[in-house]
Amino acid sequence: MTITLTINGTTRELSAGAGETLLEVLRREGFTGVKTGCGTGDCGACAVLMNGRAVNSCLVLAAKADGGEIVTVEGLADGDRLHPLQEAFLDEGAVQCGYCTPGMLISAADLLSRKPSPTEEEIKEALSGNLCRCTGYTKQIRAVERAAERMRGGDDE
Amino acid sequence: MALHHVRDVIRPLTLEEAWQRKLEHGPAARFLGGGIDVVLYAPPTVSTLIDLEGLDLSGVREDASWISIGAMTTMTEAIESATLGRYASGFLVRVLKAVASPLQRNLATFGGTLGSAHPWSDVIPALLVLEAELAIYDGSERTVALGTYLDERKAGESPVIRAIRLPKGSESARGAFASFTRTGFDVPLLNVTCLAVVGEGAWKDVRIAIGGTPGLAKRRRDVEEELVGRPIRVEGIAAAARSAADAIDARDDVRASAGYRRRLARALVERCLLEIVEGGAE
Repeated sequence: MTITLTINGTTRELSAGAGETLLEVLRREGFTGVKTGCGTGDCGACAVLMNGRAVNSCLVLAAKADGGEIVTVEGLADGDRLHPLQEAFLDEGAVQCGYCTPGMLISAADLLSRKPSPTEEEIKEALSGNLCRCTGYTKQIRAVERAAERMRGGDDE
Repeated sequence: MALHHVRDVIRPLTLEEAWQRKLEHGPAARFLGGGIDVVLYAPPTVSTLIDLEGLDLSGVREDASWISIGAMTTMTEAIESATLGRYASGFLVRVLKAVASPLQRNLATFGGTLGSAHPWSDVIPALLVLEAELAIYDGSERTVALGTYLDERKAGESPVIRAIRLPKGSESARGAFASFTRTGFDVPLLNVTCLAVVGEGAWKDVRIAIGGTPGLAKRRRDVEEELVGRPIRVEGIAAAARSAADAIDARDDVRASAGYRRRLARALVERCLLEIVEGGAE
């Protein structure tokens, strides 16, 4: 079947199998920042924004995404300028092996688009579908707090 | 992973067309809500998916007597609904916030949850104690009590679920739920949901549903009757919890033994009823 997806602002007509997942289609199209993890919606490594909300792309049939707007981690930066979340993840050292990072960034981007001043509890809840086996999550939480502050235009120190 | 057995996705625009397509394809067709259940559990005999996206079944609406949650409404949309936030002191919203992860709640729909009706669902017991009914279409539009729908459903023969209807009148009810899992992401070994109206030191109305026994959630009306009209006492709560443990159809499975499930039922019913009495559920 042919589906139409707007991926990171560019509309494309793509061919997809009726039973293929959005994750498989995105990776085939070169968006390899979307990671294949558990394949069962538990780890969050494959998270993308679909019509503004973070979802496990391994659980979305490509056919269900037809006509939708998808943002992958590749779409967060503005040209050479990293998204404030990406900057904050670097500044806080919130990355170890990096495999969970794209999904974490997408979940955090969904949160900050709706809640510019999230509490620590809200950040933990927003990241609760993204598993990290390297860190203790503390640095990611701090990074989201720092990014939120920067995006509000405040002093982050 | 790709479902290689799925060959076709059909997108009907009317209820009649959706139902007609289901009749044509029989058990080889599945209705598609958010799609999680299909991706994870559709058997290899399923070759056609009937996507209900085009039927305009999303959103929460209310009239004088009912709140209606469209079948394609996601868990997140329900959590963010001001109407449901007020309903039964926000009880359903509190349950939904504890289900799965935000990533999954952005996909999971009420229709999908009720179409798949997994025994471990934490949502179904909450809808049972709220005395929900389903608006369905299986050749004609009708409504059916959720309990009846669950009792009578047969594998592969789902009607089109249009909406979940919640009766108003639970404004003064307090709810509590407990879902016991081994890890945050595992399905529960057992869950208990209670909704009660208390006043003047007595139980005015009590509803208890227990799921994951490992069978599908059921109301425990026998236990409810032990409490209704009685004064609120710790001893009475303990006795009701013991009755619940005896009453459930507990069985062994890969997750827990029948005996462990009975102990869980007793502990969780007691915990939920105490939480309601202590006002912890606001």
